[in-house]
Amino acid sequence: MTENIIETEALTVYYGQHRGIIDVDLQVHRGEVFGFLGPNGAGKTTTQRVLLDVIRPASGRATIFGLDCREQGVELRRRVGYLPGELALYTNMKGSQFFEMVEYLRGDNGSRGYWRELAERLELDTSRTIGKLSRGNKQKVGVVAAFMSRPELLILDEPTTGLDPLVQQTVMEFVREVKADGRTIFFSSHILPEVQAVCDRVGIIREGRLVTTQRVEELITQQINRLKLTFATLPADGVFNIDGVSELQRSEQMITLGVRDNLPEVLAAAAEHNIQDIETINVSLEEIFLTYYGKGNREHHV
Amino acid sequence: MFRLVWQELVFRRNAIIGWAVGLCFFPLVYIAIYPSVADEMAGLADLEIYQAMGVNLGNFADWIGSIIVVFLPLVAAIYALVNGTGTLAGEEEDGRLEMLVTLPLPRWQIVTAKAVALSVSAFVILSFVSLVSLLVFQAIEPQLETTVMAADIVVSVLSGWPLVFAVGMIGMFLAAFCPTRRLAAMITTTYLIISYFGSNLASSTTALEPFEPFFLYTYLDSTGEAVMAGQQLSDMAVLLGIGLAAFGLALFFFQRRDLTVGAWPWQQTRASVAQP
Repeated sequence: MTENIIETEALTVYYGQHRGIIDVDLQVHRGEVFGFLGPNGAGKTTTQRVLLDVIRPASGRATIFGLDCREQGVELRRRVGYLPGELALYTNMKGSQFFEMVEYLRGDNGSRGYWRELAERLELDTSRTIGKLSRGNKQKVGVVAAFMSRPELLILDEPTTGLDPLVQQTVMEFVREVKADGRTIFFSSHILPEVQAVCDRVGIIREGRLVTTQRVEELITQQINRLKLTFATLPADGVFNIDGVSELQRSEQMITLGVRDNLPEVLAAAAEHNIQDIETINVSLEEIFLTYYGKGNREHHV
Repeated sequence: MFRLVWQELVFRRNAIIGWAVGLCFFPLVYIAIYPSVADEMAGLADLEIYQAMGVNLGNFADWIGSIIVVFLPLVAAIYALVNGTGTLAGEEEDGRLEMLVTLPLPRWQIVTAKAVALSVSAFVILSFVSLVSLLVFQAIEPQLETTVMAADIVVSVLSGWPLVFAVGMIGMFLAAFCPTRRLAAMITTTYLIISYFGSNLASSTTALEPFEPFFLYTYLDSTGEAVMAGQQLSDMAVLLGIGLAAFGLALFFFQRRDLTVGAWPWQQTRASVAQP
């Protein structure tokens, strides 16, 4: 049986009269990398902040390791590493001083000094004052601080923001190593290729509501079939006006369709119009993500 | 806990040094200058404007009471209110507090460490100023005809600490209560100014007498007698009590605060019933 490391039930947060998140039911399993996707303001950061007891929910419940996020926050945070999205550090400290402080305040004994290895792999100069570091290097400080205690769970809010592609790769290596250790990662990101590359499952949140949670490969294979149909004579407009089907492109002899549902009807309609060739196109997570947020899909809920 | 307090003091080291050096302006100028202006000052003793400001210039002890007991804590209280509001609301607004509260530390420990660090740093600043005041006093003592002793100078400087402590804790409470640091600082500053003028005016205006207990400066005696005999312990206890009460409120509201949101407590409560 799969053990849930993070579990939320009908988690709801309002900022005054403004929506934060609404009825979010989420389960993150032990040992998985869970990607949390959504545009700015969708509720990703709010969800993560509730999990760490930075803000309190209006209703609903959140647990990590079976511990209540509010009542047993100190106990669970001992086992969680966190990288905030809006990272702010003590600028008058050196990197090494900051890591020693975090190490001390976390009460870490088993992982003492591990930050040196992480900083070295990220090519971070820990002898420099944090305030004098570039944005990317400050982000590296945040990444090291999150990973340095070898926590059982990592909550990362857009961890590769501001990092160059090579360093992004290194951070993704950290993520894979954590997963290989059997530990769990819950992270939000806008960089969909990296989510696709490392995540086992993703949750997509829109306007405060979790609209879907699926395995990445299922999401890609089940959600959309993209078909490129070649005809001797192009059928008239409206032939593929079928539920769950959208016509994406039309050229002289070719029509490209996005098919979410009713594939047999599409094939039947194509057969009636003397189809010559059918080509299926691989759909990236990014394209799927956009279908959840595209203007024409605002009503779409799974 | 001790490490957290130490860390907070380290964060403040530049401010501590700056304020300690800056506040030495008082003894270096106002104590040192006394022998050369003593006669002129004595002639101004009865001016109402000075009375309204709590200034009494009759003799050296009165002068010390007016400058060291009244103005020095007033300026030192600005350090306390800036840091009291900045250490919670300021760090919340710039994002550093999020990093701290997501470590395995209970919130009460964070507030307590910050309060202790603020109180200790204020005491360190005043101690340094008292030392400089002592040196200045010893330098000018041969030119004075006074019964004020060196120890009186040190005690007078340090007697401002309970007021500074109270202002710092009020600042922390308001930082945990108000949605923004700016608002918390504005309210604390207004209260400090009202306390200062209100207390002085209450002694000459009967209409203000009922409000006198609410002014912090009511509990700070700036007369020459107090310089030599020391402050009333009961007054010091009241100021410490106000500070501790404000600290308790800071703990209470910070424990319940939704960080990074910037809302009043009742807005956070309303959130629990709001539905679109």
